[in-house]
Amino acid sequence: MTTHNLINIPKLPLEDWVSGFVSWLTTNLSGFFNAIQQGGQAIMDTITSALMAVPMPLMIIGITALAFAMTTKKYGFPIFAALGLMLIANQGLWSDLMNTVTLVLMASVVSLIIGVPLGILMAKSSKTAAVVQPILDFMQTMPGFVYLIPAVAFFGIGVVPGVFASIIFALPPMVRMTNLGIRQVPVDLVEAADSFGSTTWQKLIKLELPNAKNTILAGANQTIMLALSMVVTASMIGAPGLGRGVLSAVQHADVGSGFVNGLGLVILAIIIDRFAQKFNTKPGQKAPLKPWRRWTIVVALLAIVAGGTVNAMTTSQTTGQKINIGYVEWDSEVASSNVLAESLRQHGYDVTLTPLDNAVLWQSLANNQVDVSVSAWLPNTHKALYQKYKNDVTLLGPNLKGVKTGLVVPDYMSVNSISDLTTQANKTITGIEPGAGEMATAEKTLKAYPNLSGWNLSSSSSGAMVSALAKAYKNKQDIVVTGWSPHWMFGKYHLKYLADPKNTFGSSETINTIVSKKLKSSDPKAYQVLDKFHWTKDDMESVMLEIQNGKSPKQAAADWIKKHKKLVDSWYQ
Amino acid sequence: MSKVEIKHLTKIFGKRPKAALKMVKQNKSKNEIVEKTGSTVGVYDINMSIEEGEIFVIMGLSGSGKSTLIRLLNRLIEPTDGQLFIDGQEITNLTKKQMLSIRRKKMSMVFQNFGLFPHRTLLENTEFGLEIQGVPKAQRRQRAEQALDNAQLLSFKDQYPNQLSGGMQQRVGLARALTNDPDILLMDEAFSALDPLVRGQMQDELLDLQANVQKTIIFITHDLNEALRIGDHIAIMKDGQLQQVGTGEEILTNPANDYVKTFVGDVDRTKVLTADSIMIPALTSNISVDGPTVALRKMSAEEVSGVVAVNRHRQFVGYLSSEATVSARREKLPLADVVVEMPTVKPDTLISDIMPIIYDAQTPVAVIDDDNRLRGVIIRGAVLKALADTEGDSDDNA
Repeated sequence: MTTHNLINIPKLPLEDWVSGFVSWLTTNLSGFFNAIQQGGQAIMDTITSALMAVPMPLMIIGITALAFAMTTKKYGFPIFAALGLMLIANQGLWSDLMNTVTLVLMASVVSLIIGVPLGILMAKSSKTAAVVQPILDFMQTMPGFVYLIPAVAFFGIGVVPGVFASIIFALPPMVRMTNLGIRQVPVDLVEAADSFGSTTWQKLIKLELPNAKNTILAGANQTIMLALSMVVTASMIGAPGLGRGVLSAVQHADVGSGFVNGLGLVILAIIIDRFAQKFNTKPGQKAPLKPWRRWTIVVALLAIVAGGTVNAMTTSQTTGQKINIGYVEWDSEVASSNVLAESLRQHGYDVTLTPLDNAVLWQSLANNQVDVSVSAWLPNTHKALYQKYKNDVTLLGPNLKGVKTGLVVPDYMSVNSISDLTTQANKTITGIEPGAGEMATAEKTLKAYPNLSGWNLSSSSSGAMVSALAKAYKNKQDIVVTGWSPHWMFGKYHLKYLADPKNTFGSSETINTIVSKKLKSSDPKAYQVLDKFHWTKDDMESVMLEIQNGKSPKQAAADWIKKHKKLVDSWYQ
Repeated sequence: MSKVEIKHLTKIFGKRPKAALKMVKQNKSKNEIVEKTGSTVGVYDINMSIEEGEIFVIMGLSGSGKSTLIRLLNRLIEPTDGQLFIDGQEITNLTKKQMLSIRRKKMSMVFQNFGLFPHRTLLENTEFGLEIQGVPKAQRRQRAEQALDNAQLLSFKDQYPNQLSGGMQQRVGLARALTNDPDILLMDEAFSALDPLVRGQMQDELLDLQANVQKTIIFITHDLNEALRIGDHIAIMKDGQLQQVGTGEEILTNPANDYVKTFVGDVDRTKVLTADSIMIPALTSNISVDGPTVALRKMSAEEVSGVVAVNRHRQFVGYLSSEATVSARREKLPLADVVVEMPTVKPDTLISDIMPIIYDAQTPVAVIDDDNRLRGVIIRGAVLKALADTEGDSDDNA
């Protein structure tokens, strides 16, 4: 890239400054960040397990009863709540829903705790307002994705950074509306309060906050909705919940599953929104709730709490060894990670599968937040990441050999080598996630071949790449994609790799298992198993195709394990 | 010793008060000062003293600085310069905390738009001042209920302000101010937002109240009639400066300068000496439609003892007194049978010609045009007033 500088100023090292600042923060405040990470994680786990402890039917009935008791004259909302929640449960998204509720709840509560006082300060002091206002604009317009990066640097992966990013993104309306609400209190009321000798504090509590209540609640509502919208983004760094389903659907271009998970979010958003509006009454029109409504609310809440408690006391927690497998949402890795996870589960492990972006995955392995990944493509594809983290992770060696990566075209195209490419496919290579190792290789390839000058590499996701391929294939159009095997697309379409005379894609690739530095000492048995884990390209492709044909990854993995008992048992000897 | 003593009190809004102050001393106009310095003179060099137990009215057009002045008295606005004494104690140099206790104990304020808190019931509004002081709940409730009872609003105590009429809301505002039992009541155009009828009632109530409680009341208004009706002393302001302080009589008879003269004259134009300049709208009863009961109802509603009878084309018929109407009702007569004669004049009749007619008449004089349509009536007081004014300044050609 060449930029034409109008004025001859050398490029400011802005990126270096920001990175330097963040890494300085990370090193100097690591204790503080860890405390937040652990405390936050503990709180979130408590909330989630409390929500999960409540039996699903009881929760649905309870929420419907609440909806019924809090709305007057209308049956629409309670019926919607009941049907919506039943649909979510029916689609098997209940635990995802509870995780999402936890995340939204936490982000909203923290935003409220930070936002209201900040809004009050802004309203009371024009100087503060002048400073905070541009910061809020900055926070609100900066794409939510950007917050994920420092969030990972500070807190690693999981739900805490998700909450952190959501808070930064969702906080502004809370602050703004609080400020606005307090400033909008009519001046003669403020004068009246002053003329009776109210202190600033009395004025705030007795006049300003009650009068600003509606505006503040409107802000809270916006904050909740923004936190909800961040759920999907936050799932890229391992925040569990409905967002994960949406993200995974995007990466696999799976319309159905994306819609269902999205619908779950919509139902949740509407329910939260309607409940929030119930608290928004104007002064002087307080219609006191009828006693039976009040009793219904009390009873419903008590029933939910009691049900949760009873359930939590009677069900024993599984106390298997915990292991956290990180993976990227590529079809190959979905297959291998699920097979490994399923086999570990059958041997009594408590397995967590965390889908992450590739770069984040390596970083999480390096700081011991993820125990293992079976998706390191070496020596070429993930070369850059391996160089960066090789001292902080343990490489256990290949789990699958005979891997190939390269540029792939449909076999009806006449080109056979990368050096033959001229103007095909609009001079575009259709790629995958920008952070993927293969994309770095493809960039290198563009530079290495003179005939590719003027070509560009467009990034999307693995799923979108396959969709684009399918569409072009159907219409017999030119397309060049970044491909790799094992992949089910080679079973479904007639494709070919382009020859790579300059060997930029490397010749022999393997998929490797990498584990965190601490695993050997903390769980030697698992370390042994992971060291032995291996299978073949055909094994993997069979699982991939099953998943592609509509089986759930878990089911496909279990079926494969049943058929290959001998091989699987060999990992555990 | 006066209750309130004000010395050289000045307030300048904006960023460069010193420069503005200099310009005020050179007698520059407000606009010029704003242009040059970007500062606005709120009030300048106010000196006056207010005695215990009097109603002191501060008058002026909008922008004259009267609202600023009243807020300087309880320091809702901080003065730029000058001193203010209450009971001999200087309060312009008190700390914020000491000022709070002055506001809690000594002064209460009533606002033009009532300033009631919409999220609190009347009772909660009324007890607000005591609540702020930390008075125990039972005690403050009792005092607030007493104040509401005095304002005849006790039965509404659990209602919210937006459920009441303006007059009721202002009674609550007054009750709230009185619950604190302050020495000084500051009233900032308290009755300006009310309709004229309610306004008159409230003025009467305030006078009754003053007869009972003997507070020092500082009352702001832009309405000369209101000022004359309730004020013991009146101060007239213009562009932040005091023009004249005196009793109503002094201000009317000895206006200190041209501004006061025109200000007083503006309120009541009686310089054009024809009938239509002093007539007032007539109270009528259409006798081709109305019966005695309706006519009586109109009289009692307007608190008069007679109405002008007209026909359905609004043409003048005669005078209908209350006694005649009562007898008509008793004897079941139509109204037309009890209408009596009434002197009439044309709209352009000169006052000097109306004088003899009005002396002899038992009723007001009707003003009718050439088509025999009723235009208004003239009552005795208006003529006398017009005459008194013309004798004072016959060379005035306003």
